[in-house]
Order: sequence, then C-alpha cells, then structure tokens
Amino acid sequence: MMQRNTSKKKIIRKIKQIATYVMVLAVTAYFIFPIFWLIATSFKTRAQAFSTPPLFVWEPTFRNYIDIFLKRQTEIEAITGKELELATGAETFFFNSFLVTSTSILIATFIGTLAAYSFSRYKPTGTNTLMFFILSTRMLPAIVVAIPIYFFYRYIGLYNTYIGLILLYVMFNLPFAVWMMKSFFDEIPKDIEQAAFVDGAKPFKVFSKIALPQVYLGLGATIGFLIINVWNEFLFALLLTEKATRTVPVMIAGTRGEVGINWGLIAAIETLYIFPALILIFILQKYLLRGMTFGTVRGVKQ
Amino acid sequence: MTRVKIKNLKKSYNGFEVLKGVSLEVSSGSIVALLGPTGAGKTTLLKCIAGVEQPDEGEIYFDDINVTYIPPWNRDVALFFQTYALYPHMSVYNNITFPLKQRKIDVGAMDNIIKSISTKLKISHLLDRKDPSTLSGGEMQRVALARTLVRRPRLFLLDEPISNLDAKLREEARVEFKRLHREFKQTIIYATPDFVEAFAVAEKIAVINNGEIIQYDDPLTLMRRPYNKFVATFIGSPPINIVRGHLVRVGNTVIFKSSGLEVDLPQDKNLETVSEDVELAFRPQSVRIDGSQSGRTLRGKILAAEFMGHQTILTILVDNFKFKAVVKGISKYAINEEVSFSIDSKGIILIDPKDGRVIQV
Repeated sequence: MMQRNTSKKKIIRKIKQIATYVMVLAVTAYFIFPIFWLIATSFKTRAQAFSTPPLFVWEPTFRNYIDIFLKRQTEIEAITGKELELATGAETFFFNSFLVTSTSILIATFIGTLAAYSFSRYKPTGTNTLMFFILSTRMLPAIVVAIPIYFFYRYIGLYNTYIGLILLYVMFNLPFAVWMMKSFFDEIPKDIEQAAFVDGAKPFKVFSKIALPQVYLGLGATIGFLIINVWNEFLFALLLTEKATRTVPVMIAGTRGEVGINWGLIAAIETLYIFPALILIFILQKYLLRGMTFGTVRGVKQ
Repeated sequence: MTRVKIKNLKKSYNGFEVLKGVSLEVSSGSIVALLGPTGAGKTTLLKCIAGVEQPDEGEIYFDDINVTYIPPWNRDVALFFQTYALYPHMSVYNNITFPLKQRKIDVGAMDNIIKSISTKLKISHLLDRKDPSTLSGGEMQRVALARTLVRRPRLFLLDEPISNLDAKLREEARVEFKRLHREFKQTIIYATPDFVEAFAVAEKIAVINNGEIIQYDDPLTLMRRPYNKFVATFIGSPPINIVRGHLVRVGNTVIFKSSGLEVDLPQDKNLETVSEDVELAFRPQSVRIDGSQSGRTLRGKILAAEFMGHQTILTILVDNFKFKAVVKGISKYAINEEVSFSIDSKGIILIDPKDGRVIQV
C-alpha cells in the first residue's frame, strides 16, 4: 500500500515537472517568436517576406544586409524603370547610436553614482526633498516636454548636435541612476566604511576601494537598464536630429517611407541593431536580475 | 601611550539621546573597560573616540590635544567593530593588511607580525580565503581582531572583541590582550557587556547605562561599593539578592526587617539619618550556611541546587522571598530541606528605594 502510494507520488511529481517545462517553453516561445521572425525575415527577399502561407523553409539571402550599407539599383529599377541610387548612410547612424548611448550612459552613471553615494552617506540637508525633486523630472510623460524641448534646442543651438542629444539622455537617465545606485549604497553596512576610515583611508579612497566594489552588481544592473533606455530611444532622436546625428531607431522608421515597405531590409537593420544590445544584456544578465530584485537580498553576510 | 580625556560628550540619533554627557579620563597606557548592557552607548562612545561619529557636544582630548574635529584617518587609533566590518570584496590577507597599506607601511616587512598574529588567532589557514563572508562567526571575529592588532596605534578601541569566540579561545585572547598591553603599553578601551571579561582584563571599569557613566572605579570598589542599584545588580554572578523592608532601631543596634528576614546591620555605621523604608542587598557569596554563620541565624528552605563545577548555587526560600546563595563544591543539602543561615554583615548594601542610590556600604 505504502509502496503504491510513493510510486503514485513519483508519477505525479514527474507530471508536474513535465507540465512546468511545457509552460516555460510555451512562454519562452511566445517571447522569442517575434525575434525569431525578425531574424528570419531579414534573410528573405521581398517576395518571400510577403508569401502566404509564411515560409518556414527557404533559401536565405544576404542581400538585405548588403543593402543596409551599399547602394543598390536592382528592384526599384524594375518598378520605375529608372536607375535610383539609395545611399543609406547606415554606418553613420550606427556610429551615432554607439556614440550617443555610450557617452550619455558613461556621464549619467558617473554623476549618478557619485550623487547617490553622497546622498546615501553624507545625507546633505534636505536629502529627501532633493531625491524627490530628482525623481519628479521623470514624472511627466516625455512627449509632454517634446515640443518645448524642440524649440528650446533650436533656440540655443543644440538642435542636431551630438552634445544636445547626449545631454538630453543624461538628464533623462540621471534620476534613474541616482535612485538605483542609492538603494545599493544604502544596503552596505556603514561599519565597513567606518572601519576603512579608522584604518587610515581617506574619503575618496573609501568610496573607490571600499564602497564601489561592493556595488559592482548594482552598477552593472544600472548600466544595463540605461542601455535599454537609451539604445531604444526614438521620440527625441526623431525630433532633435537630422541626417548627421540621426540614430538607428529613427533610420529604421525612415526606411519604410520609400517605394513600398521593404520588410526584409528593415528586419536586417533591426537584427543588426538588437545584436549589440542582446550581447550586452547576456553579459549583464545576472546584474539585471540583481537590479530587479534589489532590496530583497542582503549584500553582506554578518 | 596616550591619555584620553572625554568631556561632556553628547550624541543623538534622530532625537534619541544615545550619549547624555559622558566624561571619562583614561590614563596613559592603561586598560579601561566600558561595561554596560546592550544599547547603553558603548559602541557610540567608541565610535566618537575613533572619529567615525561626530559628537553633538563635548570634546575629546588625546594627550591634551583636542581631537574632536580631527578626521578618523588622522587620529591613529585602531577600532575593533562589534559587527567585524570585514571588507567583503577582499581576501582575508588583504583585509588584515589593509590598515598597513593605508599608512604606506611596507607589508613585506610586516610579514612576521602578520604571521605571528594569525598563528595566535588560529587563522593562518584562512589567509588565502577570497571571500570573508564564507567564514564562520568566530573566524570573522578573529580576522577582524587580527586587522585591529596588526598596527601599533596610539590607542586601541575594542568593541566586544571576543564575544563570539569559544570559551578556551576567549581566555587565550584575554591573556593576549594583557600581554600586548604589557609589551607595548598602549592605551586600551575595551567595551563589553560581560562583567567577568571586564574584571579579567581591565584595571578600571566605567559602568555605562542609558548613555551615562554611572560609576568609574577599579573592579574591587565596584564590587564592594557600587554607586547604585544598577551597578550592584549588573556586577556579580549570580546576581545580588535584593529585598525590600524597613529598619528597626533597638537600643544601639539597627535591624533590617522584612517578612521572615531579620538582619543585624553593622554597628559602626551611622544609620540615624536613613529613612526606615529601604532595600537590602547582599551577594550570594555572603550567605553563610550551617556551621559557619555569625550573627543572627535565620531559617529557610532549599528550593533548587545548581552544581557549577567548583561551587553550587542554591535557591533558598524564606517566607515569600527567594534568594540565591553560593556554597563551595557540591551541596550536601536535599531539595526542600530546612537550613539555617546567616548573612555576613560586611557584605550588606542598603539601597534607597526612591532613587536607587546605595545608601552606605
């Protein structure tokens, strides 16, 4: 009797396990499918991309990837009978995205970390008010300030400049960096830094050698979230840039405006564009997870 | 060798007064214990002396130099943290050598000292450990202790440095503190909630409670002439017995009376000005049972006997009053047995129940 019971339990446990896997697989497939379809489309010709039923097996073409950077004369010629040259200028846009993202994140993280540390440790007068004030800059939906910022930028000459876009992204991401980093610094027991002071370390050394190494995980998480924010930003990049400073999201939107929509080309640009972010997110995976669960795990065992 | 003088130190956290005007003088090269329960203000006081906490009021002097506003990295003190405060991202070895590196002391030249300290603290095998958070509590404490003792500062501040060690190691550590002190003559301030530890280590003890220093004396005086009820009860094991009653004057003698308990008070003491309502305190060690009594004999019933190895603690009931008595070796009394006893008049302390002050001893 007992044995039958335990074997029954075993079977139930097995079924539960399989059910869990099936569920996880289903959810994963649901989230992965769009990315899969994007990548698949990037290797299809225009006709293949539009075929019904959708093609799951086809002869892949690399034409779209070449078309991103190189001028082409083929298809359009067939439709209009004219020779058209399309200069995509994609290298510039990719370079712009890299430049704007890395610089603005570097500045936002640097200032944000220092500010967060001093808020956490030195608690200047009005810390709470200031922290709220910093947060309040994020309370308006971005689109509300879009038009004023556009005119403001035109007026002071920041329109269509790298500095303008970088400053804007720094401003948008600083509150996030400060709040997030402060919560990580708050988690470190004060005693550890006090011990370093008594051991003879001066304030900046305590910050760089004692406090900062303890929040590397948090720093990684913060940078990860900022990358996602800035790399994908579209609205202000569209409003405040022209060809010279345009970033990839704007370029993608512009690509569809030519003669008909070339989904294969768009998919190829997008695939190229999500790859750096995807790789970084993979590297920063554990940090991001830490960032999402911060506050729930004690940093130091005592 | 540094003389430490603290003048009227006050410190509050969020409106809660942790230190209420502490004054203390520690003579150069002495070991002083700060003895008090948790939350008494010991840690805050040590942190103020080390400079990592800024007092709201008052001054701290090292050898007549006002150091109140000197930052901690320039004070040249070593502080052992009750929480150990190990650097979690550094190896055990780097934790221990961190204070040396900050002072640009050649770590290579200090290798012998590091080795001898880690041998004494039994952490030699841990030096290569990368992550100190994998150590056990006792190991962490020893690593933190090594980090404190690796330097030769002008002043050692130790905040419950051996509370987490096992009994044997604790005893060795106490001996080591005393040896260190003899050898280098550094001033040591040692905070502990354990009076046995304070007695074993310190030359003078400052009893601290609720942010105030209540009494600052040598161990013997603290034991014999406590300032108030708090000191009397905090020091001594088992704790002092206290019973409320009143004084009766019969001719020249003064007798303390409580239900079932009558004790002659020493005649040479001036008890005329004392009000009748008092509390009588006596240590379990001044109860004399059978044979050895002197003075007035009383009778009581044995309720319990705890054998502690070299002595037995008896719980005796007289009427409604339960108290502890200590006899040497194994007790020969049975539970519920009636015994006669007396209280040694030399060990008697009278307490004014109104303010808890000790009236006279």
